[in-house]
Amino acid sequence: MKGQDSGPDIGDREALLEGRGLAKWFGGLAALNQVDVEVYRGELVGIVGPNGSGKTTLFNCLTGMESVSAGRVFFKGIDVTHRKPHQVAHMGLSRTFQSIRVYRKLSVLENMLLSRQWGGERLADWLRSSDRGTAERARDILEFLTLDGQWGEPAGSLSWGQQRLLEIGMVLMSDPELVLLDEATSGVSPGLVEVITERILTLNHLEGKTILLIEHNIDVVEDLCDRVVVLDYGEKLAEGTVDSVFSNPAVIEAYFGRHDAEF
Amino acid sequence: MTEFLQALVNTIMLGGFYSLMVMGFSLIWGVMGVINLAHGEFVLTGAYLTWIMNRHLGWEPLAALVVVIPVMFIFGYLLQRLLINRIIDRQHLVSLLVTYGLAILIANGLKLAFTGTPRSLTTGLRGFWKVGEITIPIVKTYDLAIALAMMAGLSLLLGRTRLGRSVRAAAQNRQSAHMVGVDIGAVFAVTFGIGVALTGAAGTLFGLTQPIAPFAGLPLTLRAFAITTMAGLGNIRGALLGSMALAAVEVYIGTYVPGIGTNLGLVATFVVLVVILATRPQGLFGGLTPVEDS
Amino acid sequence: MTPVGQTDTIRVTGRQWGFFILVAGLAMLPLIEALTDGNGFINNSTLFSMTQMLMLVTLASNWNFISGLTGYVDFGHTAFFGLGAYSTGILMTKSGWPFYPTLAVGALVAALAAVLIGRVTMHLKGPYFSIAMLGTFAALREIVRVVRPLTGGGPGFSLPPYLNRPLFYYLALAQAVLVVALYRWLKGTEFGSMMLGIREDESGAEMRGINTTLIKITAFTLAAASTGLVGGMWAYQNTFIDPDIVFLDSRTIEMALAAVIGGLGTIAGPVLGAGLLYWMRDLVWASFLQWHLFIEGVILIAVMLVMPKGIMGLFGNRSGLTVRGVRAAWRKR
Repeated sequence: MKGQDSGPDIGDREALLEGRGLAKWFGGLAALNQVDVEVYRGELVGIVGPNGSGKTTLFNCLTGMESVSAGRVFFKGIDVTHRKPHQVAHMGLSRTFQSIRVYRKLSVLENMLLSRQWGGERLADWLRSSDRGTAERARDILEFLTLDGQWGEPAGSLSWGQQRLLEIGMVLMSDPELVLLDEATSGVSPGLVEVITERILTLNHLEGKTILLIEHNIDVVEDLCDRVVVLDYGEKLAEGTVDSVFSNPAVIEAYFGRHDAEF
Repeated sequence: MTEFLQALVNTIMLGGFYSLMVMGFSLIWGVMGVINLAHGEFVLTGAYLTWIMNRHLGWEPLAALVVVIPVMFIFGYLLQRLLINRIIDRQHLVSLLVTYGLAILIANGLKLAFTGTPRSLTTGLRGFWKVGEITIPIVKTYDLAIALAMMAGLSLLLGRTRLGRSVRAAAQNRQSAHMVGVDIGAVFAVTFGIGVALTGAAGTLFGLTQPIAPFAGLPLTLRAFAITTMAGLGNIRGALLGSMALAAVEVYIGTYVPGIGTNLGLVATFVVLVVILATRPQGLFGGLTPVEDS
Repeated sequence: MTPVGQTDTIRVTGRQWGFFILVAGLAMLPLIEALTDGNGFINNSTLFSMTQMLMLVTLASNWNFISGLTGYVDFGHTAFFGLGAYSTGILMTKSGWPFYPTLAVGALVAALAAVLIGRVTMHLKGPYFSIAMLGTFAALREIVRVVRPLTGGGPGFSLPPYLNRPLFYYLALAQAVLVVALYRWLKGTEFGSMMLGIREDESGAEMRGINTTLIKITAFTLAAASTGLVGGMWAYQNTFIDPDIVFLDSRTIEMALAAVIGGLGTIAGPVLGAGLLYWMRDLVWASFLQWHLFIEGVILIAVMLVMPKGIMGLFGNRSGLTVRGVRAAWRKR
């Protein structure tokens, strides 16, 4: 558990998640080009960059949802480059999606119940009756996220911000060590942005979850992140603390030159 | 060598027919997002219509196109207004099941009306051109000519006319088209009508070379699907190429595999289809938009 | 604690009683027939008809298991029916095997085919999968026609006669009961929840730890094996098979129609739908024999337009985890 003022102690520790030399080509276009990224246990790292800079592609490659054209991905020291998403999920990694993937037609609680940690691939696990105490866990998490009042509503009827919270809740059901959040505050009303931000901080500081997040909102990035990685056109442009990165002229040009960031 | 060239000629003839047959299917799918599983049955409807005029009125089949095309257009237009309109923005499951039901309905309706006995068209265009050792049935050259003419016509229609522009706009984005004053309902109805008219015309050509039977529709639908998947939605040039490719596969297998070749044609179609879907889901020749999860 | 996905205790018992009574009643029919010597209400042809209906219950339930519960709508499911029919037929006539082992082999062949076919087609989404299966079905028909030495080709062949109506009735009844009970149970297990996740959002489910490929193919194979079994039984009862009557276009329509009318994605739906379809068919056949497929097409369209959730949908029974079950889980706190 790290303190609030000091950054995580990187030292010689092995990274929890590491991408080395990641590249992803679509036809002639490089969505990712030679990107190195490390996330250490207990950190809160932000991935920022103008639209189209490859942030979500990076997430897809790190989680196995897309295959890499080159490079390797290591999670907990193990090479997971070619593993399928559900295998990576079982190892303790969870993510949300930019376009919010909740089960729209099902209720909030059902969404949570469908996101619990799936025991395994043995026949015995499959044939267990659904739900054993996970409803309680779901309710706890929903309370944490201020959503318990809507447990029976269809997920599609929630506000955008609430759906983002629900997605975070679904991610938490499996009690992951590493959480990847893709635009957790995008399109969310300011009040809920605060709620989300606070929750993320709690998850990191109090529960020790390592968090990697993609964000457009620089204020949120400032509040949350120990360290920031800037991507531009699929390449890593800069890396460091929030202050150092955003006073970097190249980064400023990347943003201002394209009028993308919300300041 | 002669065999090879003969097969080549046959391929071109068959490919020409396929490309006309595919036009309507591709248009409907591309503009309205509806995969029409009753496509083969529409072909047969056109064929039977032609047969009625051929058998009972003594018309030359190709001349019957003059009647078949407008009639099928009206049929398509009405069908769209009454039925297809209701399934456009719904899940794929719905449109698949509805058009599947339509296919069964039409096929059995045709059987009730015309019995299961295969019918043929009688045409004055008998005989062959002979180029060296290669024989080309005269009627098939007319087929090809008409198919190409209709495709050119469609191309002009879509590219040069106001209607065509509306159709293309609606295909790209329904909301925006609506906002600039395009009457989506009418555009869809007309598009469907055109699609069905083209398909019906293909039926006429079909009847000239194959026996017309009520349940011969499925293989045609499958071929249309295969070619469209290869070619990309609404892509005329791609459809032409894809049709030729598929025709080539079928003809050459039929020529060089003794005895069972023709039956394997359908199997080959299917194998080609699955291979393509598995390796290049975006189509071979161009913009096949990914299927949204519904 | 009441597991999620099942209804409250009281309703379950009530439903189960109804089910048992129904099954017991159905089991009595052949006895009644024997007692009244075929002259009463229940005669030989009624039994035959009921046997067909029970086979449709199984087929519709199988189709529903893959199409309704996982969302992979299989328009070519009859392919597995055909594989079962031909396996049984060939083994009995060419190798002289007794009936029951051939049935087992039929199911096995269908299952094996499902694994192979599924590995290829289940990478496709939505309509592409559906049409790929439709193509598989058509292709298999042609392959059977072509491989003459093995399958007798186009003309087909006859199976040894074995007209023991009551036996087939009980077989069909047993399979229908087993299959429906199995699916109902599975739906309430983790496996069922995973299928639901796949249906609602497959990529999301994958990311949440569900091995979607394994689950899909398992469900597909299970349904295929069961369908293959029905195919074998049908072949034997029909005593004659050829590519066209086995790989009949309208078979898939019937399974789909029954499932859809009853309620796609529910367990009771296919049962209700099959029963209803059979009752309607008897009615229509009495007066309009030729029209029955035409009418089925009309009905399919009408149902999809007017009540796409089927009869069970009218009861507000969603095909996901039941609301009642969820509420019970919530209250347990």
